[in-house]
Amino acid sequence: MAAAKGGVSVENILSSIFSATYLAAVLRISTPLLLPSLGALISVKAGVINIGLEGIMLMAAFTGATVGGLLQNALIGALAGLIAAGLMALLLAAFHLGFKGDLILGGVAINILGSAATVAIGYQLSGARAGGLNLPPTGIPDLNLPFLRDVPLLGESLHTALGRQNLLTWLAFLSAGGVAFMLYRLPFGAHLRAVGENEQAAASVGINVRRVRYTALAISGILAGLGGIHLSMGYLNGFSRDMTAGRGYIALVIPALGGYTPLGTLAAALLFGAFAALETRLGSFNVPSQLPQMIPYLATLAALIIYALRQRARATQG
Amino acid sequence: MQRAWLIMPLIAVVALGMALLLSVHVLARGITGAESFGQAFESPSFGVIWAINTLVMLSFALFIGQTGRESLRVLLTVAAALLIGLLILLLINPQSASDAYNALLTGPLSRLNRWATWIDDAISLTLVALAITLVFKAKLFSLGAEGQIFLGALASGLVALFVEGLPPALHLSLAVGAGALVGALWGLIPGVLRAHLGANELVSTLMLNPIAALFYGLILEQIRLPQSGAMASALFPASALLPRLIPATRVTSAVLWVLIAVLAVWWLMQRTPFGYTLRTVGANADFARYGGINLRRVIVRAMGLSGLLGGLAGAYLALGIYQRLPLSVSSGLTFEGIVAALLARENPLAIPAMALLYSYLRVGAPIMQNDAAVSLEIVRVIQAIIILLFTAEGLIGFWRRRKAA
Repeated sequence: MAAAKGGVSVENILSSIFSATYLAAVLRISTPLLLPSLGALISVKAGVINIGLEGIMLMAAFTGATVGGLLQNALIGALAGLIAAGLMALLLAAFHLGFKGDLILGGVAINILGSAATVAIGYQLSGARAGGLNLPPTGIPDLNLPFLRDVPLLGESLHTALGRQNLLTWLAFLSAGGVAFMLYRLPFGAHLRAVGENEQAAASVGINVRRVRYTALAISGILAGLGGIHLSMGYLNGFSRDMTAGRGYIALVIPALGGYTPLGTLAAALLFGAFAALETRLGSFNVPSQLPQMIPYLATLAALIIYALRQRARATQG
Repeated sequence: MQRAWLIMPLIAVVALGMALLLSVHVLARGITGAESFGQAFESPSFGVIWAINTLVMLSFALFIGQTGRESLRVLLTVAAALLIGLLILLLINPQSASDAYNALLTGPLSRLNRWATWIDDAISLTLVALAITLVFKAKLFSLGAEGQIFLGALASGLVALFVEGLPPALHLSLAVGAGALVGALWGLIPGVLRAHLGANELVSTLMLNPIAALFYGLILEQIRLPQSGAMASALFPASALLPRLIPATRVTSAVLWVLIAVLAVWWLMQRTPFGYTLRTVGANADFARYGGINLRRVIVRAMGLSGLLGGLAGAYLALGIYQRLPLSVSSGLTFEGIVAALLARENPLAIPAMALLYSYLRVGAPIMQNDAAVSLEIVRVIQAIIILLFTAEGLIGFWRRRKAA
């Protein structure tokens, strides 16, 4: 601390922040935010907001790490995690669409279930109070791109930023494009948006509203599951209780900041990631860690107000 | 009417009698209790415990009276969820299943300090459930209670720590008032955003909660005791503490707050014009608008009042339970409050009983983990099942159809 004291200057902070390692950290930290955010986006677009993302992520993170660790096979683990996530999402869908239960309360129940069942099962399996299993970690591998070094001028920085990112990070950013393509280029996406905007109108032109919503919730669950798997098998080695730390809730907020578009969601997730990565970097300077953490929420609040004002202005014009 | 006059004293006598049995049972079971039946009556706290137990019994009587046949459905739902929990336990840990359920279902009454924890927990749950009821009644889904609890605790804690030289009653009132006021103001934000801008209250409260929790942490870091290892403030001075009613427990005079809060919310919802508009908006917002109800005003007021109760819950936790500002005031109390409000069908008079019922499981859970080496999280699994079973309206129809087929 004493050494850092003399060196606290804007220049110092800036040079520490805007580096290739920082960019790499931002991409890494954004991954488990972006994936569930895309899931949230799809569910909102279909008019069935998925509050249960947090619980789904936890279930996927736990199942992935546990099955993967027991079988020493990351691929099977990841698949098991995705299946668990899909089942949780389908449970919510069946509860809401099949048994007419309240969607929000169902989501709350899914979150409680995910948080509790993972710890309870871990406790039974390990017999330990911490609820963690001591399994040799199996992870989703990083994607090594050594050829990035050969790019002229920027080679070294480019390699630091992108050369050793996790496979799931790449998948997350591709998913943003995939979700955009699905929503705006595929007939299913058009159906999905129609169902979300006006259920009756969509039904009247022959769209199977229920099937679209089942699918939307399942996709949102799978995306959240990928985020959970990244947490326990990429970002960290193994599962720990409530390791999502509220990311499933943040994911419901991020699309609002991104104006409920896939690319906006991508940008908003990166913004949240950028401030989260900032927190660890500011550790050596005398800035309370809570301040940078608060900024994305305040930004989202501002975005929500601006978005609402704009919509109201549009409504009064029309 | 004539029968009602007969029934009332009968219920009162039965409640008093059952409360007496419960009090003697709890007091005679040791750990700061009286150690034997004979001593139980001589215990100085006997009267207080009997009074509180009478309130417990009356709240269950009130619940049955208020919800009628619905109360059977609540009991069946909870019983079914407990049964499913038992089946899960039998699957994963058959040897300790019966021990576990024994500890879970009898644990909270097995010692005086455990009974006291049950009462404490039910108080905070009731306050949070009342806060949630006010907004749910208008068909709004605010999860903002969490943030209100943090800021309510913070405000009352700061008054307790840094306002000096006041007589005890005034100091305490000021601290409680500060918590309630800050909670109400924080609750107004999503209300105004929703009413005037149409911003989704779910998203805005999900945003405001972490802001509140981070702000709480920020202030706590400034005022924490540097020498202590734990991240917590200094203990509050005695003049700002809620008086404890029973020695060696944390049962405070907040029991009375709950009584007043329940009656106030009931009166507000059933006997005032505001309550009428709130219920109308919840039943049919379009109808309410055509009927000339000012939707915006109703939403803002409901959210503000709900915030007030959330802030009060925070003040109670700080001034009554922790007696200082701890690292974290609440971990998901909002969701527990949702279950209680849900089971009470958003009827304020039914809430205390449901808070007691749910707190009973919450307090039994760690006892179960301790006695039977079964994870206490099983109880939260049961909680999730309760929500799913209870809110799936279609489930009843599904059963009937199967029966008919």
